[in-house]
Amino acid sequence: MVVKGIQAVSKAQNGVGAFILQCKRLEFNFCEAGGSSRGMKAFLKHRLADFARQNPQVEMVVAPRPHKHPIIRGVYINNREKVVCVRNLAVLQVLQKAELLRDASGVKIKKINKPVQSLNDSVRGIWSPYHATGTDVYKV
Amino acid sequence: MKRVSRSTWDSLVVPRRCVCGNPITLNNLLSSSFSTSSRSSLPISSRSTSSIATVVRPSLKPRASRPFHTSTSLSVVPKLLPTQSAKLAALHGRLKLPNKFPLMTLGRALIDPTAESQNHLNNDSLAHLGNVLLGYYTSEYLIVRYPRLPYEIVKTAMNGYIGPRALAAVGTEWGVEAAFAPGETVDPGLLQFNRLAPGTPYMTSKNSVAFNIPRMRKRMVPNFEHNPTAEQQLADEPPEVRAARELQQKSGIVAEAVPLEAAMANFVRATVGGVYLHSGGLSATKEFVHSHILSRKLQIDKLFQFEQPTRELSRLCVREGFQQPIARLEKETGRYSRHAVYIVGVYSGEEKLGEGQGGSLPEAKLKAAISALKGWYLYSPVPSSDLPSKTDGDPTIPFIPAIIDVGDVVS
Repeated sequence: MVVKGIQAVSKAQNGVGAFILQCKRLEFNFCEAGGSSRGMKAFLKHRLADFARQNPQVEMVVAPRPHKHPIIRGVYINNREKVVCVRNLAVLQVLQKAELLRDASGVKIKKINKPVQSLNDSVRGIWSPYHATGTDVYKV
Repeated sequence: MKRVSRSTWDSLVVPRRCVCGNPITLNNLLSSSFSTSSRSSLPISSRSTSSIATVVRPSLKPRASRPFHTSTSLSVVPKLLPTQSAKLAALHGRLKLPNKFPLMTLGRALIDPTAESQNHLNNDSLAHLGNVLLGYYTSEYLIVRYPRLPYEIVKTAMNGYIGPRALAAVGTEWGVEAAFAPGETVDPGLLQFNRLAPGTPYMTSKNSVAFNIPRMRKRMVPNFEHNPTAEQQLADEPPEVRAARELQQKSGIVAEAVPLEAAMANFVRATVGGVYLHSGGLSATKEFVHSHILSRKLQIDKLFQFEQPTRELSRLCVREGFQQPIARLEKETGRYSRHAVYIVGVYSGEEKLGEGQGGSLPEAKLKAAISALKGWYLYSPVPSSDLPSKTDGDPTIPFIPAIIDVGDVVS
């Protein structure tokens, strides 16, 4: 008569202990000649260094993408990508888009109806018809 | 720790991605992207990049299994020092490692023994150190938090927290990517290991010596990797496979190739070892392990599998001097219907030990016994006792010792 163990793997709760930023890479693509890249190029020249310094946990990639509109591509830990086109945007608007991608979690956008998402069981417990007494039986 | 990037985006004629999937342009552009000191000056000319890149890294020996030839130095793909890799610097920043933790160590933690056999270049020793530390902090955490946990459940919970699958999940959630194959031109921020060929059985025997055997032709090989009872499979293996395995074990050859899971777990262990060596000893390691490993969710109450719970509960009551447990029917509904429900409570004298609900009387009784046993085994002291590692730095610190139970109920 022994107790046996059922193998299980612990699940991540990001932020309960350490917090890992989900954006692991930001790729900035621009066109050397195109006018829609003007803001992007100014961003790369004047703002990117500071932005990279403030976000050491994100790998920054700068690469040309000739004859196309400029884009910022965020690559996330769940191996998804999020791409934002930044054509004709000013420097600060490009910075806003970069911050948006940095703060994103990378999961598909979905409607969240419940106020709390948790792996833990409900503190209140599940209502049971066999344990409710009196008129509480009918109150769910 | 500072990262800087430069805006030298002109005259880029190199292809955007190399074979391994890492952007080459990044390496050229951001060669100076990381400086461990708090230096704030940005520019390092791209000339200096090439001079740094020509420094011969103590690198991997050429292997026949590599998909591309690496003996000649390619002019396009630079050999990067760990301090030049943006990926590695980003990983360093993501884990919030202190500046004292050098990038060289983090880069070394990413090199598996299957990619580099020289022990002073791979993560073997770091992983051993980290494994010991992980075991220390996890076991004391479990035993102090649940002093009555049976030994089997402690082992299962340890496996759930620091087993290879759990550690591989940790490494993946740290955002570590694996290189396609080890090589000189691989970015130092990628995990380098020799991949196990598909269909090759990979097992870890009792003394945790990993080995693999090439697949035999025209023969189905069972998938050992996802089978938890490797020992059972070992007992059933054909004699020629056993002979090959024993020969491999006797000769002391380590595994030539490992699956991604094993390599990733080794990297996490090595990182913990590196934290101990560089970030400030035991206290920093404890903080790291608690925040990254033990903060994860593992439902200890879901790990139990009882064989004879009613008998075990009865033995427990004898051992503890309680009155013999009696199961009493508390409520029932629909006894003659298709869905009867019974609620059974198990009592020791006046004390109610547990309660279970089931579709039949024996089922409800068993569940009541299981509930009572889990209530006993999962006892956790409310003003939690101190972990023994609290006194690691200072033996005179006030310490509340844990009371450890006598152990499993055996009969």
